[in-house]
Amino acid sequence: MIEFQQVSKRYAGDAVALSDVTLNIADGEMVFLAGPSGAGKSTLLKLIAAIERPSSGTVSVHGQDIGKLNRSGLPYLRRNLGLILQQQRLLPDRTVLANVMLPLLVCGAARADAERRASAALERVGLLDKAQVAPLSLSGGEQQRVTIARAIVNRPQIILADEPTANLDRDSANQVLDALKSFHGAGVTCVISSHDEQILGTAARVIYLKQGRLVDSWPARTTA
Amino acid sequence: MNIWLRQHSFALRQAFRNALGAPASFLINAVVIAIAFALPLTGLTVLENLRPLSGQLVVEPEISVFIDMDVTRNDALALGKDIRRVLQDSKHPGKIEFLPREKALDMLKQQSGLSEALDVLGTNPLPDGYLIRLPRFDNATDAGAIDAIAASLQDLAGIEHVQVDSAWIKRLAALVHLLGVVLVILAATLGIVVVTVVFNTIRLQVLTQREEIAVSQLVGATEAFIYRPFYYTGALLGLCAASLAMGSVALVLRPVNAAMADFARLYASEFMLVPLDPLATFMMLGLGALLGVAGAVLSVSRHLSSSATR
Repeated sequence: MIEFQQVSKRYAGDAVALSDVTLNIADGEMVFLAGPSGAGKSTLLKLIAAIERPSSGTVSVHGQDIGKLNRSGLPYLRRNLGLILQQQRLLPDRTVLANVMLPLLVCGAARADAERRASAALERVGLLDKAQVAPLSLSGGEQQRVTIARAIVNRPQIILADEPTANLDRDSANQVLDALKSFHGAGVTCVISSHDEQILGTAARVIYLKQGRLVDSWPARTTA
Repeated sequence: MNIWLRQHSFALRQAFRNALGAPASFLINAVVIAIAFALPLTGLTVLENLRPLSGQLVVEPEISVFIDMDVTRNDALALGKDIRRVLQDSKHPGKIEFLPREKALDMLKQQSGLSEALDVLGTNPLPDGYLIRLPRFDNATDAGAIDAIAASLQDLAGIEHVQVDSAWIKRLAALVHLLGVVLVILAATLGIVVVTVVFNTIRLQVLTQREEIAVSQLVGATEAFIYRPFYYTGALLGLCAASLAMGSVALVLRPVNAAMADFARLYASEFMLVPLDPLATFMMLGLGALLGVAGAVLSVSRHLSSSATR
């Protein structure tokens, strides 16, 4: 369960990113965040991953108050999260396989086991044949799928995806979306921000944000 | 292999990867640190070579005891027992020789060349005395004890004056002490240089790898996992630098020994400078690694305190 209780987030210079947001996301749910640029979608995802801390209110993940989490507790929260950010943040000096292995190695997995599981994750996103190449030699869609493989390799309970289909052609976007839906089908909670009306049209639940405020939510489907 | 060992093995591989990723930079830094190491290491090698040499220089300091002119010859002879007791109490029994005033005058005439002048005096101006030789004194450590014996002798009734010939021992002891202090100050200063160079090297590596650090943080890496490779890099740098420095000093000893051989032969000596023994070598290598880790820890701590990526 992900829970926001009257959460506000202000950045330096008093720029308000989120204002008084209250929402619940149940385990195993697939939720889309919609709204114009600057609506607070990315900030909401960053608050769940504790990349940002709320200015007021509480964010809790599986009952744990993120705001009270100390530095030493942070890695253990993130090991249960699969993060797919707008910028892929793949390490250019490592192979695709090495990039996907990283979350396993930080948890202390044996190299052979990490290789096996990373290969399985790459196979799941259809990129096993690219395992030994450098990430920069891949297309944007392929890089995004590598990021997805890295996000799911540790079998997280929650996947957070920030505009995962942005800048992708329709085929690539559909492949990425299909991959995310398959993880949701396996019981993983997915929180995905998107501008893509076609994707939002197929969603089971959409949360609409505007200027940092939650303005609408499923079942209402009107854009704010 | 358990997780702890696996994590350290991973960190060590990363450290080698960092070093081999920029070998020229790593080598230059190692050479700079090695130069800083080499100076105190040379001093230590010389001092360690001189220490046994100075230990062999056991001296026989002399104490001259002059008896009061009013004391009779029998009483002067009896004072010998008191002097012997003082020496035994000090745990440095020496050779005691009574020197009658007549014999002292003869010696003065022979040694000073003032025979005629002394004849003019008509009477013997010298008192009876004792000459004490202390064969068990070590020049480096026991110089202070001679003064204590002299003070005890001076307190005996019938003693006019006690003269000690220990100034040169004190000077030598002071010189050795001074060399030791200079070496410690030099080592401390250059230790700071080593830590600073490692600090800067690791800081640059942390900056170079900030994207990797950020990604690792996002996928759940602990601070220990992220920064451990930098500690190993610091240790590796310190270890390589210490090895380079010790190798350089060993090489420098060859021409120095060749030049010194002729000089030593003049003193019928086979004295040669030898490198540090295995234990000291091991300790110096350990110190190098330790200073490297210290520099890395400081650098990483600074990065952690200024890091906003969390």
